[in-house]
Amino acid sequence: MAVKPRLFATPEQRVGAKKTNWSPYFFLTIPLLLYAMWVVIPTLYTFYLSTTSWDGVSDNPTIMREPFSNFSRLFGDEFMTFEAKKEGDPRILQIFPAADRTFRIALTNNVRWLLVFITIPTTAGLALAMLLNTEMRFGRWYKISFYTPLVLSGPVIGLIWAWVYQPRAGLLNAALTALGVADPPGWLAERDLAIWAIIFASVWRQVGYVMILYLAGLKNVDPSLVEAAVVDGASRWTLFRKVVFPLLAPVTTIVMVISVIDSLRSFDLVQIMTNGGPAESTQVLANMMYNEAFQNYKMGYAAAIAVVIFAFSLVFIGIYLRRTLKDELEY
Amino acid sequence: MSRFSKLFSLMLSVLVLVVLAIAPVTAQPTVITFSSNASDPIPRAFTEEIVGMWNEANPDTPVELSTVAHEDFKNAIRTYLAAEPSPDVLTWFAGERAAFFVDRGLVGDFGDAWEAAGLNESVAPGFNALATTGEGKYFLPTSYYWWAVYYRPSLFEQVGIEAPIENWDQLLAACDAFSAAGIAPFTTGIKFRWPAAAWFDYLNMRTNGPEFHIDLMLLKESYTDERVKQTFANWAEMFDHNCFIEDAAAYDWNEGVDIMVQGDAAMYLMGGFITDTYPDELEDDLDFFRFPVINPDVGIGEDAPTDGFFMSANASNPDGAKDFLMYLTSQEVQQKAFDDLGRLPTRIDVDVSAASEATQKGINLIQTADYVAQFYDRDTTAEMADAGLTAFVEFWDDPSSIDDILERLEADRIRIAEEMAASE
Repeated sequence: MAVKPRLFATPEQRVGAKKTNWSPYFFLTIPLLLYAMWVVIPTLYTFYLSTTSWDGVSDNPTIMREPFSNFSRLFGDEFMTFEAKKEGDPRILQIFPAADRTFRIALTNNVRWLLVFITIPTTAGLALAMLLNTEMRFGRWYKISFYTPLVLSGPVIGLIWAWVYQPRAGLLNAALTALGVADPPGWLAERDLAIWAIIFASVWRQVGYVMILYLAGLKNVDPSLVEAAVVDGASRWTLFRKVVFPLLAPVTTIVMVISVIDSLRSFDLVQIMTNGGPAESTQVLANMMYNEAFQNYKMGYAAAIAVVIFAFSLVFIGIYLRRTLKDELEY
Repeated sequence: MSRFSKLFSLMLSVLVLVVLAIAPVTAQPTVITFSSNASDPIPRAFTEEIVGMWNEANPDTPVELSTVAHEDFKNAIRTYLAAEPSPDVLTWFAGERAAFFVDRGLVGDFGDAWEAAGLNESVAPGFNALATTGEGKYFLPTSYYWWAVYYRPSLFEQVGIEAPIENWDQLLAACDAFSAAGIAPFTTGIKFRWPAAAWFDYLNMRTNGPEFHIDLMLLKESYTDERVKQTFANWAEMFDHNCFIEDAAAYDWNEGVDIMVQGDAAMYLMGGFITDTYPDELEDDLDFFRFPVINPDVGIGEDAPTDGFFMSANASNPDGAKDFLMYLTSQEVQQKAFDDLGRLPTRIDVDVSAASEATQKGINLIQTADYVAQFYDRDTTAEMADAGLTAFVEFWDDPSSIDDILERLEADRIRIAEEMAASE
């Protein structure tokens, strides 16, 4: 009888093993090779590139005399100061005061995106899933219509929303003017408003995704548990809070991680709708990286930004992996 | 397997191998690959037409045309040139944009074909200079267009303004008059930033003279110089007089044209290619004049960006590339470009007398200028252009933040100039 091979077999198991089955490893080599070629090696190469000042067209990149100068340009030379920004202003704590201005704006926008993504689409998606989980008329139709934005490609959504936001001929301002608003805002033309307009378009797409995940999770909730709670006299709100929501914990974890990763990855909508404009106010890390690499011919600097995105994502992915691996081992 | 089927499969595999072995030996047409950024409808149709003409005349060396969206081409060209094999012939722009690739050895030298076709005699000297780097010819200039203030005479009549506007005071007065009549004086679309750079170019050249402007482009002058501040002060004055449409940053340049067509704006500082987008039936109500003079003591500089072609150094078909380049600069093709598109030819033997009055006016505009610049993002380095373009849009949004903006631009200029000096 062949024993399933275990990576960390105990001595007793090793003694009793008759014949190890090598076929799983054999089947794994090809995917692992592809993974190494397309993911691992490019990642390591990007780390290397971030220490160079390659411009993308000249000869092979070599490490600069000061290997981390790209990072010192990104973050500035000082970590923290407690100075006044200008003469006469009160002294405030500033973190990375000499950081690259565009980088600071991009990072801020990514954090805003993150905060919005882990609050709004998650609650809206959950609410929709709870609502649509019942047997209602046209229920399928509602589910399809909420899911459809996800089927459209990112650039298409960006283009359509750019038209909706167009100040003169767009749907939104036409509606506002019809309702009597005198001077509707310029949406994508306004530096304070543009990023929120883009985030809203992104939320519009994300809600359907979260809804589908929660619908699947709700299908896996054991109905006998729900019945037992109802029999015990739980109100609808208590039922949700104490029974259903805790049972949805695995789905919530996935949703949180996906929200974080999607918010850090956001590129297509920004590139199509404003390309970081006006005046870098909607810049995000991924878009900045793309522009630095392909418009400014600064591959080394772009690689440094990529390393920052990687580090940022690693924190959240690390948390997620720890939780899921811990759960798996418990089984 | 039976004996027969074994024998049959053996014969079949031998046959397949023989066919595969012979196939490469038969004559294949040697293709010339051509990457074009002419993605707007009318230039694109023109490019397809001249490629068709070449293919008819030269069926053995057909040209494979691939058209890429105009803005995307600017980003993608880097990968095209560094690839092996790269496209044989590509469209591109003169000035720093081309010099960047020439300096890195990615562009092919077609000096021998240039001499053989006698282009030293038939191409105007100014453009000959644009083509030359060192000893060889690397860029083939084939057409240029002028920039001017386009306006709608009917709207000028309606509000009672005299065209052309010739000086600064008249310009501000016209802005006030149009605003009072509910028409935006100038339309534009700065979503992709470069139309804002046109305003900087012209305001700087009119305020400080083209020589200072070019020195600034070459990173030799400081962005915090008093003269640059004066340019921006003039620009801010235009904002005080409400000279521009609202929310310009939400529109692409074509959408800016829509605003003018609909009668909500009177003027547009734009290149001659505006006529490609402007509806043909309404072109009777479209005219242009030179950008008004601000400082009568300095020379007149104009933007006349030159387009053209080059061949890559890694071309798989360099001889075919040179032949096709000579075709693109031939008298026939340039004449056709002039007749069909109104693009000004770089050859001196193209008959421009049949030109419309408008085109003659444009040619005159350029020929009577004291200096011809390319355009902001073609005269200066790519990284400086990126910083400058963003700065102009930022200034447009908030003119009062000009001091901060100029300080940052100056810091960028110093850093970029240092990097350039270090890499040489």
